[in-house]
Amino acid sequence: MTFRVDRRQFLMGSTALLAAGAMSPAFAQETRLRQFFWGGQARADRTNGVNDLFVAANPGTTIDSSFLAWGDYWPKLATETAGGNAPDIIQMDYRYIVEYAKRGAIAPLDDFAGNVLQLADFDPDQYEGGKVDGKLYGVSLGANSVALAINLDAFEEAGVAPPNRDTTYDDIRKMGEAFNAKGTMKVIQDGSGSEPMLDNWLRQKGLALYTADGKLGFGEAEIIEWFTMWDQMRADGICVDAETQALDTNGPLENTMLALGKAAIIASNSNQLVAHQAIIKSKLTISNYPRIAPGVGGGHYRKPSMFFSVGGSSANKEAAAKYLSFFINDPEAGKVLGVERGIPCSAHVRDAVAPTLDQQSQIALNFVANLGDLLGPLPPPPPAAAGEIDASLLRVLSQEVGFGARTPEDAGKYFISEATAILSRAA
Amino acid sequence: MTAQSVSSAGPREGYAVGSSIWSRAWHNHAPGYMFLLPWFIGFFGLTIGPIVTSLYLSFTHFDLLTAPRWAGLDNYVRMFTADPKFTASMRVTMFFVVFSVPLKLAFALCVALLLNRGMRGLPLYRALFYLPSLLGASVAIAILWREIFARDGLINKILAMFGIIGPSWISNPNYSLWTLIILSIWQFGSPMIIFLAGLRQIPQDMYEAASLDGASKWRQFWKITLPMLTPVVFFNAIIQTIEAFKSFTPAFIISGGTGAPINSTLFYTLYLFQEAFGFFRMGYASALAWVLLAIVALFTAFSFLTSKYWVHYDD
Repeated sequence: MTFRVDRRQFLMGSTALLAAGAMSPAFAQETRLRQFFWGGQARADRTNGVNDLFVAANPGTTIDSSFLAWGDYWPKLATETAGGNAPDIIQMDYRYIVEYAKRGAIAPLDDFAGNVLQLADFDPDQYEGGKVDGKLYGVSLGANSVALAINLDAFEEAGVAPPNRDTTYDDIRKMGEAFNAKGTMKVIQDGSGSEPMLDNWLRQKGLALYTADGKLGFGEAEIIEWFTMWDQMRADGICVDAETQALDTNGPLENTMLALGKAAIIASNSNQLVAHQAIIKSKLTISNYPRIAPGVGGGHYRKPSMFFSVGGSSANKEAAAKYLSFFINDPEAGKVLGVERGIPCSAHVRDAVAPTLDQQSQIALNFVANLGDLLGPLPPPPPAAAGEIDASLLRVLSQEVGFGARTPEDAGKYFISEATAILSRAA
Repeated sequence: MTAQSVSSAGPREGYAVGSSIWSRAWHNHAPGYMFLLPWFIGFFGLTIGPIVTSLYLSFTHFDLLTAPRWAGLDNYVRMFTADPKFTASMRVTMFFVVFSVPLKLAFALCVALLLNRGMRGLPLYRALFYLPSLLGASVAIAILWREIFARDGLINKILAMFGIIGPSWISNPNYSLWTLIILSIWQFGSPMIIFLAGLRQIPQDMYEAASLDGASKWRQFWKITLPMLTPVVFFNAIIQTIEAFKSFTPAFIISGGTGAPINSTLFYTLYLFQEAFGFFRMGYASALAWVLLAIVALFTAFSFLTSKYWVHYDD
C-alpha cells in the first residue's frame, strides 16, 4: 500500500514549510498555538470566531487551527502524537481520554486550575468527567446527552404526533404503521447497529455496555433480544431495510437516514441538532431515546460531549490552558459557540448565552437541562477495545442479521464470544 | 571506451597508491552522485528506512503512543491461526484480483484493437479513453461511483426504463464488490496504451501473408496478434495484479473505511489500514503488510516461472 502526495501538494507543503521556517525568527517572541479538532464546517466557523476573539485579547499569540471529520481525526492525531508533533490544543473524546492520559500524550491541568484556568462556576459533574486517575486531563466543552433527531415535517405529513418524553419502542412501532400507510419514508432508522441506542436500552434494564473493570455488562439473552427486536421491526417494515441502512457508513452526517430522507427518526446526540439542521431543509427537533416500557427511565446521562486537552509535549502548556479558560469562560466566546459543542458548563456563560440562542439551540439547552427521570448515573469510561467491538462486531453483526446472513440468536452468541475474546486480548 | 582508456593508463600510478583509484573514481563520479543525492536521500530516508522499520515493527506490539514491545512471532501466529478477519479480507482481495485483472486486460485489449484500425482522430480517442485512469484512484470518482450505483442512482434509472427494479448495488453485500471490480475495469487506460503500442510493433507483412493464405480475421487474431502480443500481456498482467493487490482508495471511500456491508468490500489493504489507524495496532498491521508483500512476490515469481510456456519473445 502506498500513500501518495501529489506533486503540487508536496510543492505547496514544502514551500509553506520553508516560508514558515524563514519567517519564524522575525516572530520569535510570538506564542504559536496549534489547535486540532474534529467536526464540520459549522464547528470550524464557530471555533475560528473564538480564536479571533482570543488573539485580539492576547496580542502576540497566534493560533493555527485545523479540523477533520471524526473518522479521519484519530489516525492523524495518533500519528502526530507518535511523531512527537502533537498539537497544543487537542479536542478529546470520552472514549480516548484514558488511553491518551495514561500514556502521557496529554498533560494534567491541575497546576493551572484556579489560576490561568478558571473553573469557579464550572459544573461539578462535567469537571469530574474530565478526570483520569484523579487528575484533570480534559476540560469539557459542553454537556450533552444522546437524543433522537426527529424530522417534524415528516411527522406532520404522516399525520402522527412526533415522539415525546413518554414515547416507548411500542409507540414507535404504531407510528411506523401510520408512516407505512402514507408510504413516504420509514419512521425510524435501523438502530440495531447503534452502540448508543443499545447502551441506552441496556441501562433502562439496569445493565450497562461495560462494567467499571472493563468487562461486558450484559449477556447473551439481552443481545439476542436486542437483535430480535430490530429484526422484527425490519420484517414489519417499521424501520428502514438493511440495504438502505447500509448507505450510512457512520461517517459524515450527509449519509444519515435523516439527511437522505429515508427515515424520520435517527439516533443522535443533543448537540448535533444544530449540525443536522444545517444540512436538512425540513424542521427538526430532538427528544429522548424511546423507553423500553412506560415509566422506565435511567437510560440517559449527561456526558461531556468533548474535551479540550493540552498536548503532553506542548511547549506552551500555560498559554494553551489560558486559551481553554477563555474558551469556556468568556461570555462573548460563549455566544459565538452557542450549544454546537453541547451546553456550556460554566453557569455565567450559560446565563449570558441563553437569551441569544435561536429556537433550535434553546431546544437542545432545555432538553439537557430537563432530563429528569430519564437520567441515570454516569457510566465509567469504556475499555480501550470498545471502539473495535463497536466497529467490527456490533455494526457488522447488525448488518449480517439485516441481510439474513445470521439469525439474531446466532449473531447474539457470536457477539458475546468474540467481544469477550477482544476484551481479554486487549487486557 | 572511457573505462578502457582509464584502465590501460592506470597500472603505473595504480600500484603506487591503492586508494588513489578510489579517490580518482570518486573525483570522476562525484558530480553524478551529487546530482543523484536527492534521490538517494529519498530512497533511503523515505523508502528503505520505513520498510526496514516496518519489518522490525511486525515483530512487536506498537500502539503509536508508547514504545514498541517485542512480541516475537505473536503477530504472525495470530494472523494465521486466530484472525477470521484476516481470512475474510484475503478472500475479498483474491476475488477482486482474480476477476478484475483478466476482465480489465481483456477490455483494454478490445479497445486497443478497435483503436488500432487506423481511425481518424486517434489521439483524441486515446486521450479520452485514458482519462478514467487518470481520475480513477481519486476520491471524487469513488464518490461519483457511490452515487451511480446507489438505489436511486443512474444505473437503476436506466434499468427502470426496461422495467427492472435494481437493488442498491453499493450497499448490498451480494453486489458491492462487483461495483468495485467494474470501477477497476473502467480504468483500463494504461494497459490499453501499452497494448496499442504493442500492436503497432507487429509486422504488417505477417497479416498480409496470412490473408493471402486465406486466414480469417478471427484466426489471424489467435495465430498472429495474440502470440506476438504475449510479452505485452505478460507485462500488463504483472503490473495490474500488483496494482489490484494494492487497491485501497475506492473501497475506503465507498464503504466509508468500514469494508461494509458485512465486510464484503474489506480489502486486505483496508483491513491493514483499520488495524493500523483504527485500532492502533501498528505491529500487527506491519506484519499484515509483510505478508501482503510476500504474497505479491509469490504471484509475480509464479508469473515469471510460467512465462516461458506462453510468452513469445522471438520474432
